[in-house]
Amino acid sequence: MHRSHFRLILGVLVAVTSLIVAGAAGGASKKASAGSVTFGAEQEPPCLNGFTSGCNNTWTSWTAGIALASPLIVKPDFTIRPYMGNAKVLRKSPFTVLVTLNKKAKWSDGKQVTADDLIFTWQTIIDPKFDIAGRSGWDSIGRAVKVNSKAVKFIYKTPYAPYKVQFSTSVLPKHALEGLDFNTVWDSNYNNKSGQTMASGPYKLQSYTKGQSIVMVRNSSFWGKRPTLDKITFVFRTNTDTEIQAIRGGEVDAIYPQPQLQLAQLRGQSGLRVQTNAGTTLEHIDINTGAGNSTPLLGQAWFRQAIAYSLDRQGMVKQLFSTLNPGLPILNNLSYVNGQKGIYVPHFAKYQISSKAKRLAKVAAIMKAHNCTKGGDGIYTCGGERASVRLGTTAGNKLRELAVEIMQAQAKDAGIEFRADSQPSRLFFPRISTNKYDLALFAWVGTGDPAGQTDIYGIGGGSNWKGYNSQRVTNLLKASDAALDPKARIKLVNAADAQMALDVPTIPLYQKPTYFVFNSKLKGLVDNPTLQGPTWNTEAWKAG
Amino acid sequence: MVTYIIRRLLYSIPVLFAASVLIFVSVTAVGNPLAALKQNPLFSTQTIHNIQQRKHLNDSLPMQYAYWIKDAVTNKFGTPLLQPGTKIWDDLKRVIPHTLQLVLISEIFALIVGVAIGVYSAIRQYSIFDYAATTFSFLGFAMPVFWLALMLQILFTNIFIKWHVRIFYTSGLSSQNPGGGIHFWIDRLQHLAIPAMTLTLLSIAQYGRFMRASMLEVINSDYVRTARAKGLPERTVTLKHALRNALIPVVTVSALNFGALIGGAVITESIFQLDGMGPYFLGALLSQDAYVVMAWLMVTATAVVAFNLIADVLYGYIDPRIRFD
Repeated sequence: MHRSHFRLILGVLVAVTSLIVAGAAGGASKKASAGSVTFGAEQEPPCLNGFTSGCNNTWTSWTAGIALASPLIVKPDFTIRPYMGNAKVLRKSPFTVLVTLNKKAKWSDGKQVTADDLIFTWQTIIDPKFDIAGRSGWDSIGRAVKVNSKAVKFIYKTPYAPYKVQFSTSVLPKHALEGLDFNTVWDSNYNNKSGQTMASGPYKLQSYTKGQSIVMVRNSSFWGKRPTLDKITFVFRTNTDTEIQAIRGGEVDAIYPQPQLQLAQLRGQSGLRVQTNAGTTLEHIDINTGAGNSTPLLGQAWFRQAIAYSLDRQGMVKQLFSTLNPGLPILNNLSYVNGQKGIYVPHFAKYQISSKAKRLAKVAAIMKAHNCTKGGDGIYTCGGERASVRLGTTAGNKLRELAVEIMQAQAKDAGIEFRADSQPSRLFFPRISTNKYDLALFAWVGTGDPAGQTDIYGIGGGSNWKGYNSQRVTNLLKASDAALDPKARIKLVNAADAQMALDVPTIPLYQKPTYFVFNSKLKGLVDNPTLQGPTWNTEAWKAG
Repeated sequence: MVTYIIRRLLYSIPVLFAASVLIFVSVTAVGNPLAALKQNPLFSTQTIHNIQQRKHLNDSLPMQYAYWIKDAVTNKFGTPLLQPGTKIWDDLKRVIPHTLQLVLISEIFALIVGVAIGVYSAIRQYSIFDYAATTFSFLGFAMPVFWLALMLQILFTNIFIKWHVRIFYTSGLSSQNPGGGIHFWIDRLQHLAIPAMTLTLLSIAQYGRFMRASMLEVINSDYVRTARAKGLPERTVTLKHALRNALIPVVTVSALNFGALIGGAVITESIFQLDGMGPYFLGALLSQDAYVVMAWLMVTATAVVAFNLIADVLYGYIDPRIRFD
């Protein structure tokens, strides 16, 4: 062999061997037992200040956001419990909430988390100069009175029933942020004015490498139980297939992907554990009952009921999620979700008839009662109007597109035609919000608390794109917004829901399942299907 | 040569100016950048008003263009629509080197292998090797990049699961603690290997076909026949006389390819989660951030102009008959 060829081959062999050796070592260093976890985050936060509109993203709060604790926390069972503090109603008129902080609560720079921080958080959120993502509740507060260094009384201008959701918001450090432009600060760090990273949660931000990772390390000043892990690294894996290969091959220890059909393969993978729950993304069909729809039939409650009866929602959910979450229940309430024990009343359950023959008979009976006749193509005509409506969703979302196909077939069997009307979301949502649709399949992201229902279902509500016009429902929901007694509030909301189950402005379908996959050596990881997300209890995570 | 380069650089100024106008007009023609935000409950009227003020969106289009150009020249392309704390140029500075690393590795490999295959196919025309290379080329052209990428990911993941040896990583740019110096670069190569393989396999097909066609044209020309008649060894005839001239079309294609790839191999970079120009552009499109899209388009246009110039300069070195007046 020529000498230069020999050198070339030798060089290639050395390079490949060194890659393999380095790779094997790299693989070993990634094991969860090293006291660290690598989490594949499905989205990268646009920036880290999750309070602002431009950075507000669930993955902002699930990653770097774990550095900033809140007085209350939403638990996996949808209850809201004390965390770094508590919030209690002191007085009903004027509505006054006392917010207290844990006496041990301090920032990672050693300063106490104080009442001044709570007041500063309120003042920052309502400051019109700042591009804040949500001011609900905060803008109802008229004034704040400092009780002591760890307690504040917030006196509201108008009662705000979901105050507990409001105080599940992180507290901001006044001494670190006062006088700074909140729109531009904390874009890529959580530093105070002297460059120290700020944290009141179990982990503090060590580094943020844009496009690659967020590294959180244990906050030794944490007021609660000492976190076990040294480090949690969030790496961005935004492609589902890549995410799957990354967890299969041990490049990441945990992922929390959107439910996609490809994920089914992970169920049988040894060394991985899968937790799945019904989440708070509420998939539903909105029905345009008023102007902008293509047929006056949609304005009739009996026709909307017939549509609801024509669908086998459980059958559809089974087809969509049989491999991902075989036990996923359908949703039968527009305000509360499965899992909220003693609160969730399944008002829409009557529309679920699993037997096809009985389902078709029910629709036929309704149609017959309203003098509808079946045409040669099997579709009803009622008073000269063909029972044909458009059903649209966000094109490109495979699960939704499949759901539309399944429902088209179900409705057709019952004599109602669903004409496909899907568009990319950038075109779809502007149409929905300007009432140019018949039936629209999309989702609301909820919290388990019915705050916001008045806006969606009340007369004149900003998100009532259905043209739904029920004075009774509007009154009940408005009363619920002002009801401070939780039991009375639940009763009012459920009364509104029962009425909506008769009027059918919306057909609830299912709660999109959450899908938490992690290395089975890890302990303490518990899915939280609420907006609190999978990293709600990182202090309890342990490497096996 | 220097005069030629300076003249070409001066020509580039009006080209880039025209590109900037086209980019601004075409991106703003898509619609109001705030239209989608107005539908989003996370953006209050006050917030939208603040953005309008910051971005001068109430001014006339020529004034908006002037503000954009001013921002691009004096303020690092300004800030994205929704993140006033971020400079667009800082993001571009971060992603361009990542793309360059991938593109350099894959283009160099593709050129070496593609040219070799093309030359050998041409001098052994209609041989088994030639047919095999042609078949491979058609496969390469026909293969969807996302499919090839996924297959390679699955292959190397399965190797890890079976033998617990990490030859290559299936995503990302770096491990958590890659170390410094040579360790960092080995780790980086382990991360770039599969995406580079994906791009290389597709480019080899392209360069191989170009090289074969160009070489076939050259080896049948008079001066090559003369070189053979002089009694020069076949190796010298092929490598010194024929190859050099046959390279010109490949240089053109590869220079234009390279310029375009600076814009990012969008699919490959996105699948392998490489923080490059491709995912950056895709992210901007999905978030409908006109300012990031415009900055990206300007950088890509500049790269294409620059690599065109480089290709022209290279012609002179490859073929001495070409002179620059």
